[in-house]
Amino acid sequence: MSDFAIAQDKAMGTVSTGLYIHVPFCARSCDYCAFYQSAPDADAIRRYFEALRQEAGLIAWPAQIETVFWGGGTPGLLSPKDLLKLGALVREFSGGRPREWSVEMTPLSVTEARIEALKEAGVTRISLGVQSFQPRLLDALGRQHTPEQAFKAAERLHAAGFDNVNYDLMFALPGQDDEDWMRDLDQAIALAPAHISTYCLTFEEDTKLWLKLSQGKIRRDVEAEARLYTATWERLAAAGYGQYEISNFARPGRACLHNLNTWRMQDWIGLGPSAASQQAGWRGTNIADLDKWCAEVAAGRRAGEDRQELSPGLLAEDALIFGLRMNEGVDLAPLRARAPGADWAAVDAMAGELREGGLADVTGSWIRLTPRGRLLADSVGERLLGLLSS
Amino acid sequence: MDVSLTRNFCIIAHVDHGKTTLSDRLLEFTNTVSQRVLTEQHLDSMDLEKERGITIKMHPVSMTYPAKDGKVYKLNLMDTPGHVDFSYEVSRSLAACEGALLLIDAAQGVEAQTVANAHLAFGQKLKVIPVINKIDLPSANLELCTKQLEDILTIPGEEAILASGKSGIGIEDILEAVIARVPPPRDWQYPQTRILVFDSFYDSYRGVIIHARVFSGAIKAGDGMLLMGNGIKSEVKEVGIFTPKMEPCPMLEAGDVGYLVSNIKSTEDVKIGDTITLSQKPAKDMLEGYKEVHPMVYCGLYPLETQDYEKLKYAIARLRLNDSAFVYQQESSVALGFGFRCGFLGLLHMEVMQERIRREYDVEIISTYPSVVYKVKVHGGTEFDVDNPVNLPDPSSIEMISEPTIKASIHIPNEFLGDMLSLVMEKRGTCDHTDTLDATRVMLTCTLPLNEILVDFNDRLKSITRGYGSMDYELGEYRPSDLVKMDIMVNGDPVDAFSSIVHRTKAEGQGRQLCEKLADIIPPQMFKIAVQAAIGGKIIARDNVREMRKDVTAKCYGGDISRKRKLLDKQKEGKKKMKLIGKVSIPPDAFIKVLKND
Repeated sequence: MSDFAIAQDKAMGTVSTGLYIHVPFCARSCDYCAFYQSAPDADAIRRYFEALRQEAGLIAWPAQIETVFWGGGTPGLLSPKDLLKLGALVREFSGGRPREWSVEMTPLSVTEARIEALKEAGVTRISLGVQSFQPRLLDALGRQHTPEQAFKAAERLHAAGFDNVNYDLMFALPGQDDEDWMRDLDQAIALAPAHISTYCLTFEEDTKLWLKLSQGKIRRDVEAEARLYTATWERLAAAGYGQYEISNFARPGRACLHNLNTWRMQDWIGLGPSAASQQAGWRGTNIADLDKWCAEVAAGRRAGEDRQELSPGLLAEDALIFGLRMNEGVDLAPLRARAPGADWAAVDAMAGELREGGLADVTGSWIRLTPRGRLLADSVGERLLGLLSS
Repeated sequence: MDVSLTRNFCIIAHVDHGKTTLSDRLLEFTNTVSQRVLTEQHLDSMDLEKERGITIKMHPVSMTYPAKDGKVYKLNLMDTPGHVDFSYEVSRSLAACEGALLLIDAAQGVEAQTVANAHLAFGQKLKVIPVINKIDLPSANLELCTKQLEDILTIPGEEAILASGKSGIGIEDILEAVIARVPPPRDWQYPQTRILVFDSFYDSYRGVIIHARVFSGAIKAGDGMLLMGNGIKSEVKEVGIFTPKMEPCPMLEAGDVGYLVSNIKSTEDVKIGDTITLSQKPAKDMLEGYKEVHPMVYCGLYPLETQDYEKLKYAIARLRLNDSAFVYQQESSVALGFGFRCGFLGLLHMEVMQERIRREYDVEIISTYPSVVYKVKVHGGTEFDVDNPVNLPDPSSIEMISEPTIKASIHIPNEFLGDMLSLVMEKRGTCDHTDTLDATRVMLTCTLPLNEILVDFNDRLKSITRGYGSMDYELGEYRPSDLVKMDIMVNGDPVDAFSSIVHRTKAEGQGRQLCEKLADIIPPQMFKIAVQAAIGGKIIARDNVREMRKDVTAKCYGGDISRKRKLLDKQKEGKKKMKLIGKVSIPPDAFIKVLKND
C-alpha cells in the first residue's frame, strides 16, 4: 500500500466532498474520446456560465469542498478571463481553500496568460494531455499538438512554479509497438512530473477508433495490453512513481486526491453537462447536451439521468468494486459497519476464492488485488456486483 | 384354395446395385403401374431413402403376370432394406417370401452387403435367383461376376440371369424365372389362420396399418384378430393389397401379401415378426422366428437451441410412431440441457433418424457420443444392461463387463490389406480369415467390438481404400472386456455429456484428446481451470484452460460509476446464458463444438 495514500486518507465515517466541473468545449474531437464536448462559441460560453451559476444555486453545499477538478472537454480552452470567472465561482461555493484544485489542459492551451489566470484563481494542479511524444501516434489519435508543443507546455508550467503536474499518456495504440511505448514512458519520466497517468487505449462506443475496430481496420491484442501494463508498472516503480490505481502513479504525496475521493465512494458534486454527482445518499448524472442541460437547470432540475438512491449495501459494494482498483485495496471493516445487513458471507467467500486463485491478498480486514488480479479488475468487479446491493 | 398361381419374392442387393430401378421395371412390365405414373424409384417413398440410395421401409406390391405357360400368376414383390441395422426386419421380410432375386452389379461384382444378404436368404431357405444387373455398362465384367457367384456364394453360374433395369433387358426372363424356380407359397395346409406381420406403419387417420403375409387360412373385415406374441385382440376393419397404392379387397387368403387395418392405434402393440390368428379359431403355434428387437446403439439427442426442445420432442414422438425399433426417453444434461436418450438398431439407423429430425422437422440437434449396450455383472451375480455411461455402477461393485461384438465382412482392393489390418488391430479387432474375391480384391472376415466402429470406422475404411472398400456386419456375441468409465471434469466437476465407457487401453489417448479439445474451446478464465479425464477418481489426462490475461478498463472517473456498473451488469447477464459447471461459466456452444468437430 502506498504510504501517502494512507496518510492522506481521512478517518472513515466523515464524508469529504469533491467538486467536478465539466467544461464541455473542445476545438476538435479526438478519435478515442467519448466525453461530452461541443465546439465553443461566445454565446455558448455565455449560456454555459449562466447555467453553471443556476445549477450551483440548486445545490446544498457542504461547509467545505476538499478537492476541485475541472475536466472536459478542454477547460484550458477557456480564455484567461473566463478561467478567472470560473475560479471565482468555485471560490464562492467551496467554503475556503480546497486542498487540491486540478485543471485538465492540452499542450496547445498552455499559454503564459492562462497559466497566470489559473494561478490567480487558486488552481494547484495541472493535468496535461500529452498522450504520446511521437508525431505518428499523436496523429493516429487525432490529437492536434506536436511533441515540441508538449515540451514547451511542460517547460512553461515548470517556469510558472506549478510543481503538481500530471502527464496523461496512452498505450496499446494502433501502430505502437512495445519499444515505442517504453520510449514515451522514459521521455515522460525524464521530464520528472509529480504524477503520471498511463491509460491503455479503451475502445469506447461511438468513437472513431471504435468504428475502425468494428470494421476490422485495427485489431485489439489483449496479450500485448497485459504485457504493456506489467512493463509500465515495473518501469514506473523503478523510476520512483508509486502506483496507487490501475492507471495512476505519483511521487510520494502527489496522488490525485479528487480521484481517491471518488474511488473511496465519498461525495462529489458535478456541475455542467454530463457531470455526475454523488451526494447525500443519491447519485445522478446531468444530461450530456449543453442546451438541454441549460433548460434543465433553468427549470430547477439537475442530475436527473441514471438517478439512484444509494443504499448502504450499494455504497459498500461500489466502495469494494472501485476500491479494489486501487493498490491500497479496501478495508472491509468500515464497510461492514456501514452496511451491517448485507451478505458479507458472500463477499468473504469471494475473497477466499480470489485469494486462492492468486488474484487477491487478504490481510486482516483488508483485501487488495495482486498485479494479476488488477489486470482482471473488471471480471473481479463483475463477480462482486450484486453481492451486497441486492 | 389354390396357391399354385402365387409367388412371393423379394430383391436383395448391395446399395446402388440397382434394386429400385429393377423393381420399377417389373411393375412397369406387368402394367401394375403405368409408365406415366411411374416416378423414378417408385417404391422408395422417403426423400432420404432416395438420396442415400437405401431403402429403410419395405413396401410390398402385388402384380398380375400372364406367363408364357398361359396361366395368370399373382406375384408379390417385397422390397427389403439393404442394411444390416435392419437385419431382423429383413429377415422377417424374407420370411414372407419363398424366393429372392440376388442382384449383382455387373461392374462392381459381389460386395459386402451382397454376401450378407445372400446368407440371410439362404438362412430363410429361400430359392435364390442370381441376377447380374447393369450388363449394358461398358465396364461390365460378366465372367468375373459369374466366377464370384460360384466361388463366394456357391451358386451355379449358369443360373444367373443377365439384365439391365435401366434399359429393360431381361425383365421377362426374370419374371419367368420367378414362376419357374420360386416355389408356390408354403405351409398353407396348417389348419388355422396364421399371418406373419412383417412391417407396420402409422397412419394419422386409420391407426396402425399392418403389412401381412397370410400363410394359412384367410382373413377379412369383421374378423376378430389376435396377435399371438402379446395377446392383443382387435377387430379387422379392412384388408387389402398394395398395387402399390393400398387397395381394399374382400379377403386375404393363404399365400397373399397385403395389409390389415384394425382398431390398434399404436405401432408398439404390433411387433414385427408376430403371428396374427383369428380370435375365434386361434392357431396353437406361432410362425417361427419371432423375436423382440432391442436397440444396440444409444446416444443423447439435444436441441442446439434450448427453445427447440418442444419441437424436438414432437419430432421424436412422430418418428417413433412409425418405427418401433427406435426408443427414447427424456434426459437432461448439465452441459446440454434437456434432451432425449435415444436407442437405435445400429449406426445407420441412428444416422438416418438424426437426419430425418433435422430435415423433416427442421430442428438442429446435437448428439452425444454414441454408446453400445453393455452387459454389466455385479458381485453377487445380477447382470443388467447399461446403455448410458452415467448408469455404470461403482467400479468396485463390478465383477465383469461384456461388450457386443460384430462379425464384419470387409471387401477391399489387395493393395490396402496392410493398412486395413492395422486399422482392425487399432480398433481391437481380429481378422478371422481372408478370402480372395478376384485378382485384385480380398474379403476379410473380422471380429470387432461394436463400440469401436461407432464413430469413425467406416470413414477410415473409405479413406484407407480411397472409397473402394465396403463393409457389412452382423452382430456377434458379447465378450468380457476390460472396460472403464471415463469422466471428463472441468475444475473437478464432471461434465456428464462427455462421460464414456472405453477400453482401458484406449482411455488415456481418448482422454487426452478430449481434454485438449475442451481446454482449447473453453474461453479464457479468471482462475486456473483444469480439464481432466479420470477413471474412478484417478486422473489419466489433464490440460489447462487458458487463463484470462487482462480485463480491466483503464479509466474510472466519478461519472463512470453508474456507467461502469451497467457494463459490469451486462457482462454478468451474458454469463447467465452460460452453462455453469461447478464454478466455471462455459458458453453452451463450447460443448457443442467439442461434440461436433469429431
